[in-house]
Amino acid sequence: MRIALLVYSVLFAEGFIRIFDAQAVMPRYITGTAWGVRGNIPYSHYWHHTPEVDVEYRINGQGLRANREYSLQKSPGTCRIALFGDSFFFGLEADYQNTFGSLLEQRLRGGGIAAEVLNFAVGGFGTAEMLQTYEKFGFKFNPDIVIFSWESSDFNDNVRSALYRLQNGRLERANAAYLPAVGVQDSLMHYAVYRFVADHSQLYTFVRERFNRIVKQQLVGAQKAALGVPQAGDADADRAASDDTDIDEVAHRNKIQLSAAILLRAQDEIVSSGREFYVVDIPSRLSRTEFASTIGILPESVRSRIPVVLPLAALTKAARPDLKLYYEKGLGHFTPTGTEILVEETRGVLNSSARLAACRGQSATSSAVSAR
Amino acid sequence: MLFNSAVFALFFAAFFPLYMLCRRRVMARNLLLIVASYLFYGWWDPRFLILVAISTSVDYLAALGAAGKPVPGKDLLKSALFLVMVTIGSLASARRDWWLAAPVAGGMLVAALVIVAVKRAPERVRRKYWLLLSLTTNLGILAFFKYFNFFVGSATALLNALGLHAQAPSLSILLPVGLSFYTFQAISRTVDSYKLRYEPQYSIINYAAFHAFFPQLVAGPIERAGHLMPQFETVRPFDRRLFTSGTLLFAWGLYQKIVIADNVAPIANAVFNSPANQTAGATLAGVLAFALQIYCDFCGYSNMARGLARCLGFDVMINFNQPYFARTPSEFWQRWHISLSRWLRDYLYIPLGGNRGGTLRMYRNLMITMLLGGLWHGASWTFVAWGAFHGSIQVIYRALRIDSAIEASRFLTLRGFAIQAASWAVTMCLVCVGWILFRSRTFGDAVTVLRNLFATTGYTTAAFSTLAALAAPLVVVEIYQRASGRLEFMTTGPFLMRYTVALSLLLTLIAFSAPGGQEFIYFDF
Repeated sequence: MRIALLVYSVLFAEGFIRIFDAQAVMPRYITGTAWGVRGNIPYSHYWHHTPEVDVEYRINGQGLRANREYSLQKSPGTCRIALFGDSFFFGLEADYQNTFGSLLEQRLRGGGIAAEVLNFAVGGFGTAEMLQTYEKFGFKFNPDIVIFSWESSDFNDNVRSALYRLQNGRLERANAAYLPAVGVQDSLMHYAVYRFVADHSQLYTFVRERFNRIVKQQLVGAQKAALGVPQAGDADADRAASDDTDIDEVAHRNKIQLSAAILLRAQDEIVSSGREFYVVDIPSRLSRTEFASTIGILPESVRSRIPVVLPLAALTKAARPDLKLYYEKGLGHFTPTGTEILVEETRGVLNSSARLAACRGQSATSSAVSAR
Repeated sequence: MLFNSAVFALFFAAFFPLYMLCRRRVMARNLLLIVASYLFYGWWDPRFLILVAISTSVDYLAALGAAGKPVPGKDLLKSALFLVMVTIGSLASARRDWWLAAPVAGGMLVAALVIVAVKRAPERVRRKYWLLLSLTTNLGILAFFKYFNFFVGSATALLNALGLHAQAPSLSILLPVGLSFYTFQAISRTVDSYKLRYEPQYSIINYAAFHAFFPQLVAGPIERAGHLMPQFETVRPFDRRLFTSGTLLFAWGLYQKIVIADNVAPIANAVFNSPANQTAGATLAGVLAFALQIYCDFCGYSNMARGLARCLGFDVMINFNQPYFARTPSEFWQRWHISLSRWLRDYLYIPLGGNRGGTLRMYRNLMITMLLGGLWHGASWTFVAWGAFHGSIQVIYRALRIDSAIEASRFLTLRGFAIQAASWAVTMCLVCVGWILFRSRTFGDAVTVLRNLFATTGYTTAAFSTLAALAAPLVVVEIYQRASGRLEFMTTGPFLMRYTVALSLLLTLIAFSAPGGQEFIYFDF
């Protein structure tokens, strides 16, 4: 009787969610990496189904979204661009040929530049995880150019991951690893039943998303405390309140300073090894024709030192009420049109790259070691 | 601590096992309830606990004295000790204000002097003094914390209007949460004791647990001692059926609050925060949204309070009985915030003379009651106007004998149905006009909202679709409640149906709750 009731409850809930709150079924094939942050599960192959798209994902043996493996040494005359970012760079809701990395490579090659774009992006990454992936793994592939994505969620992601902290204004390493719920996910992924449920159940997706949201909120709260942001009820918070200083504003300032320091650390490391470093701003969608960028919140010291691709104006110019630049029923990533705009803006900034200029006119020889 | 918060969930999860351990021992259970209730209330601001303790200490003694019972020194000591302990506890908290010790000590001294002074007076006089002590304390606290700035500001404005240049001393006073609720509850117990309708018992522990009972402390229902107090003097029943029905009632209240009220709030806020920029369609949607919001917010809280109390084995009175089915304004008040309506009837309207003494006196009494009822809701002239509006329409309905005509019409005949449907529609329009006064920040805003409604622009389906989608399940439930004659719709019927409804409720709560726990509107009153 109890089992029957349980089965009925699950089936009813699945039906309820499908009818009243349809979910985009987007399983995450994420695991832990040797360098202490999350990574894509090597050789995984899975699908995402949303009301707007059905997308196939293939991850190569190195954990990169790619249809081939890469050798550590690039071919002579080829410029290598390494992308580090979150789901936008990874290409969530986009077929491989429409991902930012794939399109950028196509456009650069079309422009006579022998370029090869390696996509190290992982959904949910913040700047701290991007830097760690570069430092411990990405640099081995000898990129000429390193590009980080920047998104408004990075402010919170960098606090949450707690890989770095600010101590008297100086950035210092706080933890060696950030692997949220990866152990649980790894254990579950061994079971075919779990993979089936994760790939097909809207109820599971619904519960997982709610749970993730709560965990993220709790982690941000805990990290705020760890960063020394006064919490409500603290004497510091009371003093801040009496000084007409909003507690959230204090937290906000801390987040900005932390993200800026991580970006500057990335800039120092990448440029000191003779590589070029760029940041691509990913604006948030407010409505179909309105977008917002948070990169302007970063201090001038960051924006003046790091070349930034700013696609906000181009997106706004291209926006029309009848044109989707971002998907609206899934997780809100770029449509192929939106990605094209981002790629064009990035290509425009990369035109001034000295490293790319050296590869202009070279025949593009892929350094892929095997095709999959 | 909000019912719709994670903190409360943790609080209750920790409290409930302890409650189950000591529920069979009245003293231990009530002590636990006091500690839990003070923790619950002190979560907002521990300084407010002193006010609850003052009201508790004074009314414990006042009810005994007002009932003509002897007030032994032992109880005086207990009462003083309780107040001192709470004051020390409050002053030990992070948000302490040392100056609060002075009025507490001063108040105790004054109370002691009054007690000594009336000790040898005849019983009739002594009872009256005890009643006066309770009224002065509770209404004094209410007047100072809630109305001081309002009255001083209004008096200053009046003097300035008369050409006398006055400057108002404005104090920065925090309004303690739920002050109007627990002071009214305390007054009703002392008045009932004075009128010999209720016999107070000698136990400050029992009374303090009743006075601060956390499910209904901050927003009612405003309970009567005759109904709730005896429950604190006995072991309460507990079984799975009672707990299940309490949980379902709490869940339904939570649904009303976080799925309906909090989701329609932005529609109402958009209109009432900047009424000048709104189309007629948006304004109408905003007014309807507020009507839905305030009902679901307050009814939701009351259901949660009743559900929680039931889980603990206590029965708390019904506070809302489908007010939006009312066909006349007076019927609306018999169904809306029932505990306050009855309080105003029993402790204001009837003492003023009620229906006795002729028609004009009755109208006067009705107007005074509604005006003060409006003022109870908040220190603002818009609330007074709202009360006056409701008083006026009730007077008009009575003068034209509309109530009795509607009552006499038969629902099952075509004519009767038409009359009742039309009277319901008119009443709902009047109630909504009242809500405009209630929600508007100024009279100017209220006029703007009313003026907007008479335009013809902006009537789009988009403006009403969210509202309709959120209201639809509530309407279905209320029609079922009305047809079945049972307000608790989830505890009857076949098991699978009840189970499915409960499951749907749970899924809806998870899927459609508004982001961010919002405070209850009535906490401000």
